Amino acid sequence: MTTDKANWNTGNLLLFGVNHKTAPVELREQIAIQAERLSEATRSLAQTPGVREAMILSTCNRVELVVYPEGAPPDLMGFFNQFFAIDHSALRPHVYEYREQDAVRHLFRVASSLDSMVVGEPQILGQVKQAYAVAKSVGGAKSGLDKLLQNAFNVAKRVRNETQIGSSSVSIASIAVDLAEKIFGSLEGKKVFLIGAGKMSELAARHLVERGARSIFVANRTLERAVRLATEFGGNVVPFDDLYTSVDQADIVITSTGSLEHIFRPEHGARFIHLRRNRPMFFIDIAVPRDVDPEMNRVEGIFLYDIDDLQSVAAANQTDRAKEALAAEAIITAEVERYLKQLSILDAVPIIRNLQQAAETMRQSELRKAEAGRLRDLSDDQWTAVDALTRAMMNKFLHPTLQAIKAAAAEGDVAKLESYRATFDPNRAAAYIKSHPLSAGLSSVIESASPSDRPVEGTAPEQDS
Amino acid sequence: MFLLWLRVAAICYGVATACALPAVLYNLRGWARIFMVASITGFVFHFVSLAEMLGEAHRWVPVGTREMQSLLALLIVGAFLLIWIRFRAVSFGLFALPLAFLLVVFPAIGLERYTFGSPGARNGWIIVHVCALLAAYAALIFSLLASLLYLVQEKRLKDRNNPSFLAWLPPLETMNQIGHGALVVGFYCMTVGLLIGSLLAQESVGPAYFRDPKVLLSFGMWILYIGMLLVRQSTGLRGRRAVYWSSLVFLVMLSVWAANVFSSVHRFSVP
Repeated sequence: MTTDKANWNTGNLLLFGVNHKTAPVELREQIAIQAERLSEATRSLAQTPGVREAMILSTCNRVELVVYPEGAPPDLMGFFNQFFAIDHSALRPHVYEYREQDAVRHLFRVASSLDSMVVGEPQILGQVKQAYAVAKSVGGAKSGLDKLLQNAFNVAKRVRNETQIGSSSVSIASIAVDLAEKIFGSLEGKKVFLIGAGKMSELAARHLVERGARSIFVANRTLERAVRLATEFGGNVVPFDDLYTSVDQADIVITSTGSLEHIFRPEHGARFIHLRRNRPMFFIDIAVPRDVDPEMNRVEGIFLYDIDDLQSVAAANQTDRAKEALAAEAIITAEVERYLKQLSILDAVPIIRNLQQAAETMRQSELRKAEAGRLRDLSDDQWTAVDALTRAMMNKFLHPTLQAIKAAAAEGDVAKLESYRATFDPNRAAAYIKSHPLSAGLSSVIESASPSDRPVEGTAPEQDS
Repeated sequence: MFLLWLRVAAICYGVATACALPAVLYNLRGWARIFMVASITGFVFHFVSLAEMLGEAHRWVPVGTREMQSLLALLIVGAFLLIWIRFRAVSFGLFALPLAFLLVVFPAIGLERYTFGSPGARNGWIIVHVCALLAAYAALIFSLLASLLYLVQEKRLKDRNNPSFLAWLPPLETMNQIGHGALVVGFYCMTVGLLIGSLLAQESVGPAYFRDPKVLLSFGMWILYIGMLLVRQSTGLRGRRAVYWSSLVFLVMLSVWAANVFSSVHRFSVP
């Protein structure tokens, strides 16, 4: 299916911002909006002249303004400048701007995590939802953004459901957790032993604790660091000398010491498994050089992954995600087209224009008959009065119907709109006008009294979008 | 009167048999207490019953299959109680009490061979017997399958290869629990099936039913089954060795199935 861009009406949607691909972190952190200031920023953007609807998405990797303008595009760079007191020249090279269809596509990709630093990460959808909730709460999001964001959420859900984009982990810590769950099932109540107090082992332990692991034991050659880490996790410090007599109590062991020799060898593993009555143990060795002899993986019941193993799993998972991203892009393309088509169906302006054109054609037809008949002797002033009278009557008569069309569009009632569209077919009206040409005198009177000179409230097509 | 005491003893042994699995396999103290109280009470009543029976008969040597069965059961429970007094080991009860119950239950029914009230009742018990044993076989197959899948998942995790077609495999612990749970359910089904089968067999052929190869193999399988449960529980057996055990019991199960050919009491026929 090809997309006829000219037929789509997205209300001049505008998306403006910076992200991790276009701007360095130094710049992003200058314009990042903290959660507590997001309402204020969104309200300020929504009140910027020329902005009809507004939402701000601010994460550690992106700050994006999504705006429906009232007419001409508003000065969004000026908003950045004013709100963050940041220099135009510093920001301009890093800013991107998407309009209409491209803006829709970009937002769908962002919500579906295709534009994320780690493709497929699940947090971004929650962040988009949060941004929308804030925009809604401050009155920044109305019918336009409502439709757009609801579609974006549905697209993201479809991408999640129909592809495997988020099914495999790509960070070392989350891979460790996934593997632990493949061994133990639930991690609820599992015991974790940290040997060495490195940053990565701390991160892995944090992930495990978040998934239900408890009883953190920490052994480190430097006691202070062990105490700090144990305190942080509410765990216990184990003296390094007691390592071999206490490790068998743990289900998961994370080692990251600076030892130049293996701390654990296969004979240790066999003893641990014997003491544990064959209950399995998972060793995560993120030390370089390694703390655990690779041969220990041969001991039945012992599962050993070192940093290279974890990284190779991460690389494989990233390749899988890249493949899935292709499928996701196809979904996005289809969904953008579907959304734009839906918008065009819901666009009430052509229907209203057709209705007014049809009514105007009938009015002119009746005037023509009168001109040829009993009103042939009217002066120009009298014709002007008759024209104004009939136009006012026509507008008052059309008013309730126009309101109903606008209501159907606002409610997204496609069936009603299709019915109106079929009834007020522009081709029929055009054919009627061609077959009933106006006389020169009447044409000049009508043109001199054009509808734009005497607008009737609520009927001008330009106001109905 | 001795028959009444024997029946009380049979009931006590039945209660002890029911409590044996949770008491021994899961170290549940409450169940263990009931198990021991029922075993000791049963032993006392059993002893009284046997003494009274021999006293009434004015002889001290048991005569006939039923008296022999009763005495054998008493000695088995007595041996178990001695072991318990000396070592506080309850595990043997897992074998001793069900066996004693099985030996006592028919003498406790009466002096004559037990006969069902109607062919309908007999057919009903046959259906329960068949269903219980088929359920036990199904559970055993399921347990073997879970153990095999455990091996596949274990190899996958150890070798660090991650073929997507195996991504559906459940975690190791889950498969271990499925395997163990299936075994426990299968054990209960098998015990019920064998008890009913024994009742049916002794009704049709009398005490000689215990010499039938099918019956002997069935009880052999049952003892092996208990052994496997006990080993799994006490050593946390899983993985390769669990598959070996399950395979062994599975082979015995096949041989029990094949023993129909040699069985005089067991034929697949329309009841």
